[in-house]
Amino acid sequence: MTTFLTRDTYSPEPDLGTPPVPGPRTAHVVIDGVAVDVAPGTSVLRAAKEAGIEIPKACATDTLKAFGSCRLCVVEIDGAKGTPASCTTPCADGMVVSTQTEQVRQVRQGVMELYLSDHPADCPGCARGNCEMQALAREVGVAEVRYGLGGANHLSDRPDESNPYFTYDPKACIVCSRCVRACAEVQGTFALTVEGRGFDSRISASGAPSFLESECVSCGACVQACPTDALTEKSVIELGMPTRSVDTTCAYCGVGCSFRAEVQGSGDGTRVVRMVPSKTGGANEGHSCVKGRFAYGYASHQDRQLAPMVRDSIHDEWRTVTWDEAIERVAAGFTDIQARHGVGAIGGISSSRCTNEEVYVVQKMVRAAFRNNNVDTCARVCHSPTGYGLNQTFGTSAGTQDFASVEHCDVMLLIGANPTDAHPVFGSRMKRRLREGAQIIVADPRRIDLVRSPHVEAAHHLPLLPGSNVAFVNAMAHTIVTEGLHDEAFMRARCEGVDDYLEFIAREENSPEATAAATGIDPAELRAAARLYAAGPNSAIYYGLGVTEHSQGSTMVMGLANLAMLTGNVGREGVGVNPLRGQNNVQGSCDMGSFPHELPGYRHVGLDDVRAIYESLWGLTLDPEPGLRIPNMFDAAIGGSFKGLYVQGEDIAQSDPNLNHVREALTSMELVVVQDLFLNETAKYAHVFLPGTSFLEKNGTFTNAERRLNRVRPVLPSRTGKDEWQVVCDIATAMGYPMSYPDAGAIMDEIAATTPTFAGVSFERLDAEGSLQWPVNDKAPHGTPTMHIGEFVRGKGKLVPTVFVPTTETTSRRFPLILTTGRILTQYNVGAQTRRTANETWHPEDVLEIHPADAEVRGIRTGDRVELTSRVGTTTLHAVVSERMQPGVVYTTFHHPVTGANVVTTENSDWATNCPEYKVTAVQVGVANAGDEALAQASEAVASR
Amino acid sequence: MSAELPPEIRLGNDIARALHHLPADEGATALATHLKKFWEPRLRRALVERVRADDPRVDPLLARATATYLEGDVDRAEVAEPSGG
Repeated sequence: MTTFLTRDTYSPEPDLGTPPVPGPRTAHVVIDGVAVDVAPGTSVLRAAKEAGIEIPKACATDTLKAFGSCRLCVVEIDGAKGTPASCTTPCADGMVVSTQTEQVRQVRQGVMELYLSDHPADCPGCARGNCEMQALAREVGVAEVRYGLGGANHLSDRPDESNPYFTYDPKACIVCSRCVRACAEVQGTFALTVEGRGFDSRISASGAPSFLESECVSCGACVQACPTDALTEKSVIELGMPTRSVDTTCAYCGVGCSFRAEVQGSGDGTRVVRMVPSKTGGANEGHSCVKGRFAYGYASHQDRQLAPMVRDSIHDEWRTVTWDEAIERVAAGFTDIQARHGVGAIGGISSSRCTNEEVYVVQKMVRAAFRNNNVDTCARVCHSPTGYGLNQTFGTSAGTQDFASVEHCDVMLLIGANPTDAHPVFGSRMKRRLREGAQIIVADPRRIDLVRSPHVEAAHHLPLLPGSNVAFVNAMAHTIVTEGLHDEAFMRARCEGVDDYLEFIAREENSPEATAAATGIDPAELRAAARLYAAGPNSAIYYGLGVTEHSQGSTMVMGLANLAMLTGNVGREGVGVNPLRGQNNVQGSCDMGSFPHELPGYRHVGLDDVRAIYESLWGLTLDPEPGLRIPNMFDAAIGGSFKGLYVQGEDIAQSDPNLNHVREALTSMELVVVQDLFLNETAKYAHVFLPGTSFLEKNGTFTNAERRLNRVRPVLPSRTGKDEWQVVCDIATAMGYPMSYPDAGAIMDEIAATTPTFAGVSFERLDAEGSLQWPVNDKAPHGTPTMHIGEFVRGKGKLVPTVFVPTTETTSRRFPLILTTGRILTQYNVGAQTRRTANETWHPEDVLEIHPADAEVRGIRTGDRVELTSRVGTTTLHAVVSERMQPGVVYTTFHHPVTGANVVTTENSDWATNCPEYKVTAVQVGVANAGDEALAQASEAVASR
Repeated sequence: MSAELPPEIRLGNDIARALHHLPADEGATALATHLKKFWEPRLRRALVERVRADDPRVDPLLARATATYLEGDVDRAEVAEPSGG
């Protein structure tokens, strides 16, 4: 695979015209006298490009199926009639092709003249260099247009400027359909079409008046595919074309898309012109979403805080100080707290948005300089049950597959995840496989897009009630086992605990009929879904926070692992158990030893031999006891034994549950240090603010949901004057434990030297190979796309009886509805980044989705401001009455601090990991300002139904 | 409500509820092992104090597990297993 790192001059990523065809290169072809071997079925256009021969093209591009409409890529083939399009003509052994004959030249020139007769002579894109038409004219030898420009044309068509990120200018459009096909084939939204016939053919976005009002999801695939100036990034129009590029990795969701950051200028004068997804990116293969491609402007937003600040009290004004003064304040403050309250009175929280290298040094600072294990990560509040559940059952805290595995999947079981919103690029990959014939079972309280959308229809939508996941997965397994659909040979050969598990799961209490009251699922529908999953033959489980953020999150993860094991769906392509991670580096932050009981590589701090590795290297004695988890830190702060906290890149005062409790904890501390891009909600309770760096300024690695380590390369110089890991090293040093590295690569070298899973990882290897999926070691020097082949990491897979224990968060007359929370496409997490971009256009506020029946009984209409109350808090927001909801369940997002959705979520948590139960909160909803009497009446009305 | 419980009881009772299906001895050992593997010492100390004070809000399985923990009767092999979470 060719990889591209940084380029001092700009050139677009090579385009070979049509997609590659897998298989041995057994077709021998001669093109213009040049011999080339390709896989049979490869297009003549691609074969020519591989042989170094350029054939003009307009409608062809290697990310889309050949279309054969532009007639510019015509060639002559010995023994064949006419001038076939090279893009749609497959190579056959012995084929002899001529690309530059007189007949071919005349055809191309005739076609090109027609295109130019309806293309602006003063096309700004052609002048800029991002419209290919004038270059194509030169390539085919057209200097003049015989027909002139006075005939019927579209040159007075008005541009559509509605989308905040790109313009559609129909004047430049040649109706090659690349945008339409990109929307269909790559993104899978089918928002674009060609409206009209013949000369009247124009691109239309869902037949809507504008792109903004259409079904377009602004993924940008159409813009990337467009060969003209018709679809162009507004940033390119404003700034002009880039002059160089840097390969890096997106900092939004856990898909971890690879991008070319295309820029102008250098040093402090560097400007990002656009982000273009890399075709060589292992996770995204040239695709992106509205966040990754367009929503990077927060890095240069005026709200960025670029200098350190301190204050004595959270009621004082901030005072800007030097780095030295800020570091000294932090070190002296923490040291003083430890002297007065003990070593365990301080701790740190690392961020899943930061690089592996940054996270590693935070846990090292805590363990070596703070001399305790009070380090945790924001993964605590999202996927900690994944770590626990998959480690218990499979022996490793990670998903089993790479994303490409879905291309071999026959049946997908999707539960507690909404990939088209939260992991859009993988969502597109799923939709492509579904269009090819795979089937999907969607288990979700809401009717998400993958239940039914263009060219997608779930075989089964199981609208389970929040809190009933374990009952559901047990019913699936019960059906499979009692109907004899399980793979007993696989279980006996590969798993332990088989007999106990089979006895447990076959109990009547686990049947679909017995669990129906808890799950709300029609038993017959559930049985049919179970049969489909068992039939496969390749069945894969994809899940998200709707699995983990429950009081039985860890149990449910183990239940999903059970389901895969009992059907033999582990250890090959197309199957497995695949957590869709929320943030870009959730996997990596967990891998790097951010949990308070584990050193990097998930090795317990109590193990003498593991501690010895670090004690020898770091030159000190480590605490063998686990430290405090995040919720423990809050409780200890309120209890008076925890007084100081360093928080890196997480807004705990917005993202964590029961915010009133969090705020009480933060105000109970003597020193809160926040390192972030912005003065976030947590910074309101901080005494020291240390400015952080955006992903465009970082040098390091992210690890995505498929265990893929991708390089993050500095596109811009640090705007704060320091890398974040340097700041952490400075704090440790000032506290008496010297820490320093020559560069971020040296941190990865230390990680590799001390963690067997990463033994073969280095920046040099990543630069050479593009990316690597851990484990990377002597056994797997090029990484491990699929895990547990032949044997589980722990030896035998462990089948765990997963008894359903209902949550204690139950509805009542006072709180008769269940609130569940989630994410939306255009916003990300607490919105710190996306709220500072034009993505606000689509989602300017969090809203409450409520079923029509629940709305009617409360007198709520779409647009009404409603009060949402739980037993721990109240917030207000606007309502959207939606049949996507099921009766009794309401839904909102937590992207905006003004709403503060987590004011109402409770301290309930997963029994094993303390991951908060964000997905189940008993609430009441009423029209805001209706008064207590009206709310009481609403409760009465619901109770009497 | 559980929110009114001190954290060591609330969190411990949550684990006990998840392990109640196991035979009593096995459940107590599993819970004691969990305390050893995941809980910070001050949280364990607070729990021990609650149990010694016969706090009626402590789940009986949690109380039994605390005694098991104090006796050091935990599953050492399980503590050594990687766990994530």
